[in-house]
Amino acid sequence: MLDADVEVDRREFTVRVAVSVAPGERLALFGPSGAGKTTVLETIAGLVQPRAGRVELGGRVLTSTAPPKCFVPPWRRRVGLLRQNPGLFPHLTVRANLRYAPGSDPSGRELAEVAEALGISALLPAMPARLSGGQAHRVALGRLLLAHCDALLLDEPYTGLDAGLRRTLTELVAGLVDERSVPAVLVAHELADAQAFADRLAVLDRGRLLQAGTPDEVVLRPASRRVAELVGYLGFVPGAGPEGGVIGVHPERVTGGAQPGRGIVLTGTITARRPAGAGWEADLATGGTVVTCRLPERPGAPGDPLVVTAVDPPWWPESAVADPPRAAAKRAGP
Amino acid sequence: MSWAASPAAAAGGAALGDDPSGRRRPPASASAAALRRLSSASGLASGLGALVIWVALLGPVIALLTHLSAGEIGSAITGPGNLDPLVTSLAAGGVTLAVLLVFCTPLAYMLARGTLPFPRIWEAGVLCSLLLPPLVIGLLLVFFVGPFTPIGELLNATPWHLSATNTFLALVIAEVYESAPYYVVGAQAAFADVEPRIEEQAALLGDRPRRVFRRVTLPLAAPGLGVALSVAWARAMGAFGAVIIIAYHPYGLPLQIYNTLQETGLASALPYALILLVVALPLPLAAFTWSARARRRRRG
Repeated sequence: MLDADVEVDRREFTVRVAVSVAPGERLALFGPSGAGKTTVLETIAGLVQPRAGRVELGGRVLTSTAPPKCFVPPWRRRVGLLRQNPGLFPHLTVRANLRYAPGSDPSGRELAEVAEALGISALLPAMPARLSGGQAHRVALGRLLLAHCDALLLDEPYTGLDAGLRRTLTELVAGLVDERSVPAVLVAHELADAQAFADRLAVLDRGRLLQAGTPDEVVLRPASRRVAELVGYLGFVPGAGPEGGVIGVHPERVTGGAQPGRGIVLTGTITARRPAGAGWEADLATGGTVVTCRLPERPGAPGDPLVVTAVDPPWWPESAVADPPRAAAKRAGP
Repeated sequence: MSWAASPAAAAGGAALGDDPSGRRRPPASASAAALRRLSSASGLASGLGALVIWVALLGPVIALLTHLSAGEIGSAITGPGNLDPLVTSLAAGGVTLAVLLVFCTPLAYMLARGTLPFPRIWEAGVLCSLLLPPLVIGLLLVFFVGPFTPIGELLNATPWHLSATNTFLALVIAEVYESAPYYVVGAQAAFADVEPRIEEQAALLGDRPRRVFRRVTLPLAAPGLGVALSVAWARAMGAFGAVIIIAYHPYGLPLQIYNTLQETGLASALPYALILLVVALPLPLAAFTWSARARRRRRG
């Protein structure tokens, strides 16, 4: 179990985050750049000292600002951190990189197994400068596994790698986290990366946890308008009826025509259209606002009327448009 | 040589660079590419310009070699006590390097990592000693460590009655002052080249800071440190300005050259100049070669 409840001062705001991750669980910290996601990882790894708070890993207290005060230095934490720069030691061969951690694997059998599992057996005698980006990441991952880390922290590790490679590496890591039953935290600013990896998604913005839940919960039922914006909702229309409130419209959760049984029907005129991937994107003026929708077929010209249905959209009462308190983000104990 | 000739020449060069076995030969193909560039008019002009500058820089060394005779060297070496300055220089240079390694390496590391408060002030101090003319350093050292200064009196109060003027200690002090900034600046750059993120990984993998330094930082900075140290060695061997003021005795090679020049003239000073070069240059050359090889090894 990894528990962190910390406050870290940054120049513009204070990062206040409480997360707890069970062994074998994969949590994604998702949020825009500069939200304080990396700060959370660095605090867990002991690279940053929090102003206040506590970090615990598998029953060991790593950081505590309340008495008895405690700060375990990074080299005694057994926390693995993988960043975008894999940080291989350029003066050592792949093999020497893999067996870098003190006391790791004298017989070499485990090294051979890990290298086999990661598909880097043929690279063992190579120097890191000769590796491709994906290979370097596999080696860095293998190095963490051989160091027997008690937690795995991934700081946008696959930024800059192509989509196929990202998927393979993400699957690889997810499988290893299951197999070794360690808590894992991924920091991502791309929703798709977070979804592909995580059992649970925590949305972070300006140092605060806005919502935590399964990826589906967060994406389909964002707790506030800000969370909705962060996970890709582009349109917000006033709710009809006596309750009022606000309805969130995600461009990809819109279907053409009026289907009242599936969600909210939106009627209006097209203000703009443009090709988007294999389909089309149209801006629809409705209810005094503009909603963007993705449609499989070419919509009419600007000025034409358009009827679409926002499928099962999230709705917030006026009072919930503000962000929820952070206590709501903490997970109930196992 | 004309513009029109260059495409054909380039094609020929490309054919030369091709390796029928299909293996890559980076150095050969790099030289081939450089030769190919020389076949254009502007390439030839810049090549010639570089050659002129290179020869001009090496001119003094060429002059030295052409004006020496074996007999002169022989008599210079075999004369009684003629090799004592060489021994003095080597000993003082060795001690100087040890002092630099022990005291200036940590300073350079802290400067590179920015862990000192007010880093600009520290850097300015190092630059200041780099920019001071050696003669002025010598002059100021007299007022700093000379016999009638607090430091001089402190040295004299030790059981060994040390003195920092006209002693071996004085020679070492002068050489340290003349060479330290070169080492600090070079070592700082060498450490700055080591990414902090890599040291951080080593720490997260379980190494305490001292082990990180030994296993990661030092090996990665070593080529740069070697070059910095050898430049400092060359400065220490050739130290003259500060030395002539506070450490006239026991004299090393530079003062031997100067004195021979004063007493018996140019020609008889030349063999000692050759000795100085032979002693001062191999270490830097070896360091540069080793450093280049270490970098190549890292590229795989």
